[in-house]
Amino acid sequence: MGLTAAWRGIVALSVGLAIAGVLDAEGLRKQAEIQPQGVQRRVAIGVTRPLVDVSRTLHLTTPRHELQVAIGREGEDRIDTEVHLTVPPPTRRLPPPPPRQARPVFTPERPLRVWTAGDSLAAVPGQALQRLGGAIDVVGVESRLSTGLARPVLYNWFSRIQTAPGELRPRVVVFSFGADDAHDYMAGVPAGKSVGPLGSASWSAEYRRRVDGVTRELNAKGIHVVWLGLPIPAGRGFAHSFPVVNRVLRAVVRAHPMTSTYVDTWSLLANSRGRYTAYLRLHGKLTLVRLPDGVHYTAAAGDLIARQLLRQLAVLYDVRS
Amino acid sequence: MLFPTATFALFFLVVLPLSWLTMPWPHRWRPFIILASYVFYSWWDWRFVLLLAGCTLWNQLLAVRIWRSTVQAQKRALLVLALAGDLGLLGYFKYYDFFVSSGDNLASYVGMDLPLSLKSIVLPVGISFFTFMAISYVVDAYRGDFQPTTLEKFAVYLSFFPHLVAGPIVRPAELIPQIETPRDPRRVDTSRAFYLIATGLFKKVVIANYLASSIVDQVFATPGQHSSLEILIAIYAYAVQIYADFSGYTDIAIGIALLLGFVFPQNFDSPYAAVSLQDFWRRWHMTLSRWLRDYLYIPLGGNRKGRIATYRNLMLTMLLGGLWHGAAWTFVIWGGIHGVGLCVERALGWRPASRRAQWFGRILTFQIVCFAWIFFRADSLARAGQILERLFTAWGQSSPLVTTSVLLAIAVGIGGQYVRPSVVTAVVRGFGRMPTLAQASCIGVGVALIETLGPVGVPPFIYFRF
Repeated sequence: MGLTAAWRGIVALSVGLAIAGVLDAEGLRKQAEIQPQGVQRRVAIGVTRPLVDVSRTLHLTTPRHELQVAIGREGEDRIDTEVHLTVPPPTRRLPPPPPRQARPVFTPERPLRVWTAGDSLAAVPGQALQRLGGAIDVVGVESRLSTGLARPVLYNWFSRIQTAPGELRPRVVVFSFGADDAHDYMAGVPAGKSVGPLGSASWSAEYRRRVDGVTRELNAKGIHVVWLGLPIPAGRGFAHSFPVVNRVLRAVVRAHPMTSTYVDTWSLLANSRGRYTAYLRLHGKLTLVRLPDGVHYTAAAGDLIARQLLRQLAVLYDVRS
Repeated sequence: MLFPTATFALFFLVVLPLSWLTMPWPHRWRPFIILASYVFYSWWDWRFVLLLAGCTLWNQLLAVRIWRSTVQAQKRALLVLALAGDLGLLGYFKYYDFFVSSGDNLASYVGMDLPLSLKSIVLPVGISFFTFMAISYVVDAYRGDFQPTTLEKFAVYLSFFPHLVAGPIVRPAELIPQIETPRDPRRVDTSRAFYLIATGLFKKVVIANYLASSIVDQVFATPGQHSSLEILIAIYAYAVQIYADFSGYTDIAIGIALLLGFVFPQNFDSPYAAVSLQDFWRRWHMTLSRWLRDYLYIPLGGNRKGRIATYRNLMLTMLLGGLWHGAAWTFVIWGGIHGVGLCVERALGWRPASRRAQWFGRILTFQIVCFAWIFFRADSLARAGQILERLFTAWGQSSPLVTTSVLLAIAVGIGGQYVRPSVVTAVVRGFGRMPTLAQASCIGVGVALIETLGPVGVPPFIYFRF
């Protein structure tokens, strides 16, 4: 007796997805790597590893590679966890900052070049800076979902930081990282070292090494680095994890007071009692500043952050729009 | 759990055979499918499951009482109670902060102070869809159109995972009879199901995501930085994006339900080929349109109480339909534009008959729909105003975002609506005649292709936030 239509459908679907799995093995392997730490990730890596071996042996990874090359997305499946930092940390205490000099002037004719980059939280403040226009020239808003400094596997920002200054020639870089870093796991940890759970001394030290490294890397090229802190979130889980990241960002900025800035979005978006609120009174009107997920910003919040950032940068630069 | 993810693929590969294995024994199948649907829903937040379960119990209890009651006044009171519960749930989770903030802004404008505070409530995914389905159930029981079923069957109806988070909005009379009788595994249109899933995935993962990231998001966030041509193309691109995103989702949902043996109503029928706004609403989000018609427009009096009352009913229906999409004035204006358009069409008696008039109607309707999309997509009225201003004041500037691939994606999105149904039927039949392994190869290559062309990670569907 033959199979019924339903069971033939199940067979076609199962075999079809298996074929798709072999053809897309390297993409699935990467998807597995970028999952949050836990059983699901371990199982996914365990399943995709032999899938990649089979696919490579049969040369079935080639069509995907060729198609990626054709659409300009070559190397998307590469798993790069290396933390590329070229400027070594100082071996002794930094000298005191030089006396403050006259602030450089920026005008619409000679604008301040700003590059905004980071995870999904980077997009809205970057777009708000773009809207300011005038003496602010946003040379790029690079927002990559779910990326960060803790797990370079999805996107390696350390590599990007090596190439972006030459391409975009920014004077100021605004970074928004950390929402996807606040987990108990880090990739690219130096050999022989291990990192404990989020908030442990080893986690904070390694995260600080990365944030500090990125800051020094860009400072060495004459670029001022702005770190946007993580905003006060609606969820309880994030309310515990975000401050861990913010403490690290703040500590790094304290170590580079003349060449980096910390923008405290936590306080900026909290209500008068220091608690989470989706609405803030702006220009006399209650205005929605957070999206329903309780983390991401609305455009109004982006404008608020951009204005605060400019206020803080006014100490260093004379921006005349 | 989003449909186009490996997690859902694994979930479905477990649920689909188990569903067919338990299907001959309804007392096993129903608890199984409720459990599977609740697992699917809890992937977002387990607390939402309590809300869904509460909504199920509330509506079942009252629908049964309404049906059994022989006193009209009592039936009516129970209906009001049920609707108050459903609309209260929707109002609290979706609209509370919107109404408080709007009230506060209005009060402060006239120098008053409202003693209400904001609550910052998290919106449960799909609440707008399952509350509307629950309302259908109690109203149909009140009207005597549909006899309430058992709690278990109603729980399947409300929570069935293919439609749970973004529709289609299925009527009790369409789905519950299918739940009552075991589906026949010999009569499953798998070819059509695979066609719907494949086209849905392509529309969502490739077309919608590409247009969003290549032009729409940038232009709508910073209209002041873009040329008039970029603004114009971004508006058309958004029209295609939202169609590809939402119709893609419902195509996948309908296809998944078909593989499980259930037939859902069609939700889109080439809406950008509509010759009038009335025609557009017969083709766009069809299950919402008929819900609004049957549970709002007709109870308001429909077109039976004179011309003015008809216009009022049309406007009210469209304004509330706009508000259903989101707690913001931009959505109300979007609904208002459609409402005014429908009233004007009715006043003019616009029913294009000739071929030329139909083409004129198609082009004009598409422009009006795109104009309304500006308000739907803009994050504020001020931004919508900037987009409109920029549309007319920045011609001649460079337009780097208007690329051949963007134009091609728009052309595919709009051109796809003019593909004849006979072509689709021929493709589906051709696929159905293939041996199972050849079908599997097509599915494998198709999924691999879509996965490669799509971005890393899948942004949520636009309609999830409604």
